[in-house]
Amino acid sequence: MRIEKIANRQLWFLLFLMRSTIILAYLPVLTSADALQDAWISAIVTLFGSQIFILLIALLATKFPDKTIIQYSQLLLGYWPGKLFSLVFLWLFLQLSVVDIRIYSEVLITGFLPHTPIIFITGIMVFAATVCVQQGIEVLGRIADVLFILFVFMLVGVVLVPLGEFDIHNLQPVFVRGWGPVLRGALTPVALISQAWVLGILTPATLSPKKVIKTAMTAEGASLAILILVAIITIGVLSPQEGARATFPLLTLIRSVQITYFLQRMEVLVIFSWGFGLFISVSTFLYSGAKGFSQWLKIEDYRILLWPMAVIWVFMAVGGFKDIFALNEFFQPAIFAPYGLALLIFPLALLWLAYLLRNTTGRSKGD
Amino acid sequence: MKCLEFFKKILTKKEGKEQRVVNSLEDLNISEREDFVKQMKLGPGLSDNLQKITDIFGNSFDLNIRKIKIGTQQIDAALVFLVGVSDPVAVEKILRDLQISLLELQLNDEADLLIETITRQALNNKTVVVSAQFSEILKKTTTGSAALFIEGYSRAIICETRGYETRNIQEPEAEISIRGPRDGFVENVFTNSSLLRQRIRIPHLWLQKFEMGSLTKINVAIAYIKGLASEELIDEVKSRIERIDVDSILESGYIQEYISDEAMSVFPLIKRTERPDKVVFGLLEGKVAILTGGTPFVLILPATFEDFLKAPDDYYETFPIGSFIRLLRYIAYPISIFLPGIYVGIIEFHPELIPIDLLLRIAATREGVPFPVIVEAFLMAFLFEVLREAGIRLPKAIGSAISIVGALILGEAAIDAGLASPPMIVIVALTAIASFTTPDFAFGIAARILRFVFLFLGGSIGLFGIQFGILILLIHLCALRSFGQPYFQPFGPLVLQDMKDSIARFPWWSLIFRSKLVGGREPQRQKKGQKPRPPVKRKGE
Repeated sequence: MRIEKIANRQLWFLLFLMRSTIILAYLPVLTSADALQDAWISAIVTLFGSQIFILLIALLATKFPDKTIIQYSQLLLGYWPGKLFSLVFLWLFLQLSVVDIRIYSEVLITGFLPHTPIIFITGIMVFAATVCVQQGIEVLGRIADVLFILFVFMLVGVVLVPLGEFDIHNLQPVFVRGWGPVLRGALTPVALISQAWVLGILTPATLSPKKVIKTAMTAEGASLAILILVAIITIGVLSPQEGARATFPLLTLIRSVQITYFLQRMEVLVIFSWGFGLFISVSTFLYSGAKGFSQWLKIEDYRILLWPMAVIWVFMAVGGFKDIFALNEFFQPAIFAPYGLALLIFPLALLWLAYLLRNTTGRSKGD
Repeated sequence: MKCLEFFKKILTKKEGKEQRVVNSLEDLNISEREDFVKQMKLGPGLSDNLQKITDIFGNSFDLNIRKIKIGTQQIDAALVFLVGVSDPVAVEKILRDLQISLLELQLNDEADLLIETITRQALNNKTVVVSAQFSEILKKTTTGSAALFIEGYSRAIICETRGYETRNIQEPEAEISIRGPRDGFVENVFTNSSLLRQRIRIPHLWLQKFEMGSLTKINVAIAYIKGLASEELIDEVKSRIERIDVDSILESGYIQEYISDEAMSVFPLIKRTERPDKVVFGLLEGKVAILTGGTPFVLILPATFEDFLKAPDDYYETFPIGSFIRLLRYIAYPISIFLPGIYVGIIEFHPELIPIDLLLRIAATREGVPFPVIVEAFLMAFLFEVLREAGIRLPKAIGSAISIVGALILGEAAIDAGLASPPMIVIVALTAIASFTTPDFAFGIAARILRFVFLFLGGSIGLFGIQFGILILLIHLCALRSFGQPYFQPFGPLVLQDMKDSIARFPWWSLIFRSKLVGGREPQRQKKGQKPRPPVKRKGE
């Protein structure tokens, strides 16, 4: 079988699209906690917090440039413990993408296609992603190339359109309530960095795995710069209270403005770019999940796992949450932050510890 | 005939119980005839040989056997040629040479000497071959050569006298450019190769001939610039062509279908053209061209998505003009695919996206139309496709009738009769005009097929369906390859360097490098820094 590789540029686009999509959709700094007008400071905190985690994840991945996280966790922790432990990642890929799909489906159902059953929309999104992953990671990389350009064009539109109604007073007073709300606002977005575990699967598929640290950190930095920008604009145009109340602040933002009489409904732009981004993140998660699971089962080709997995994902997305409020609940810092951070910190600590221990013992043996 | 004994044996072996009676050549099937001819050899008797020739050709009216006596000893001989594919002047010259020049030479009876004298001294054709194989003689005769049989010799002399009517070089009607060369390929491989040679005047333009089709035996040539086209590509093309084993090749389209990477895609993966300048442009990019006898259409491969949206004018006009018309095409092509689908999707599912005044107007015009929008759209789009297909095959004199029927009767009357609404007519017309901008016919048809798919998606799930369709289309485009090259480059994979000559065309002096992935063995096309500048200092200043 041909070895499929993607360029580091394509990995950059994949990560950027994945991370920006959740921001476009959810703007968690604003909606998840009570940071209000200081949400953009939360975004800056998120930027720094996430860079640390990304660095740790990417650094670990580059230590094993030809192995996926499923393989090197077995190497580091031992066969059975590693095998059990790597199930955590597979679960993570599944759950994160299921949440993504569900949110998008909810938006479409509430806003655009009220009579369509949710399973239909979920099914179609997962179907598109499955077809894509079936074609291989190379095709996914190329689509990321194309969609990145479209995405950036749409994003520029989304950011520029509301600028006319920007009100600086909405951002004031700055930082009056101290660190508490700011940090609470940053909790959920930082916990969402657990998405970056896909690096553990994607790094061996890149052309130069050694450069993945730079790729991942710049991609993450760029997407969080957009988070900061979007947060500032959303708060400035809507009031912080209104923004925090909204389920999907960016949609509310775009709906609230009207450039000319003719261009009334710009939210189609958001929906389309969100859809494209979602497609990329679902495909990436599906690839990571299928690839990881195939290695877990020691199967040569991940493709035979795809369709059964896709079916499971559709039913998880439909049945996993009762409604949009259950989702909202899930993203509250009190619930998601401990959960996400645990999925981030615990595996990181364990793997790094094992790695360092292995290295020191290995060295002492060598001496 | 003696040789038929040989065949009787083979046939009894082959068919086992059911024995076929083979008494003469006429009882043989076509492939058996071919095999039979292959193992036939000339005998010494002239009349025997001539009889075999007439048996095989079956007294075809264009078969001409001119009996003559040659040399001082007045030996019986016959010149066999086909009228129509051989040049009458050349044939007459051979006859004159044989009857007059030969008399002036001293001839011996020894076989080799006579044939050698004739080939060396008497005849002065371009190529003269001596053969004892009927198959070779017949093959040459059918392509226009004349064969000389001499009494007492079991070999014949084949003289090249090829000469037949071909179409003159004209401007191709289907690929018109405002600025650019006016010549086009014709149905003859040799003429076509000469058109390439006129433009690439180096010996490194290699043309390799194949013969294809067990019955048609048509000439197929692959052309490339040695040292520029990558060797893997050339080998791949050769191996794919050699794999073809069919009875007939009537058009390069046959070959295209046999060697294409993906058989099921609506997008053409190989470009075909009648214009020599397009082929030369491809060859200079390191691509390979396939010239096929009997058709003016030459294949260029590998081809990428953007190749099909390029027209020669883009390069011949200055770059702002070239870029503008290129950009127009890049906008028009998606319109020709998506517009009806998006319109139907919005009207049926998301009318709130349209400003209220416009929506009211559209709703007012749709008053009285009995169908849902989707049916209306399908009807009009289908009608347009039928009209277009009807217009292509009509004689030119009746062509105008189609436009009257189409425009006046169907367009006006459909609205008056309440079968369609004016906005729908506008949308279908706009789509049609946009689709006319596609420079490549087959590529345009891909858009026409996809239009119906997107119409269906837009009509059944609205804009979400369109988005789904776009994603699936993207997956398909990104997964396609043409002879190993990603089809959707330079967009996916993103190749920034090639973006200079995709949506826009940058000035020639900035296009330093050939296409990165196709670009062959020598990526640099020209020297850097050739941007024209005003002279720094004039003389006398």
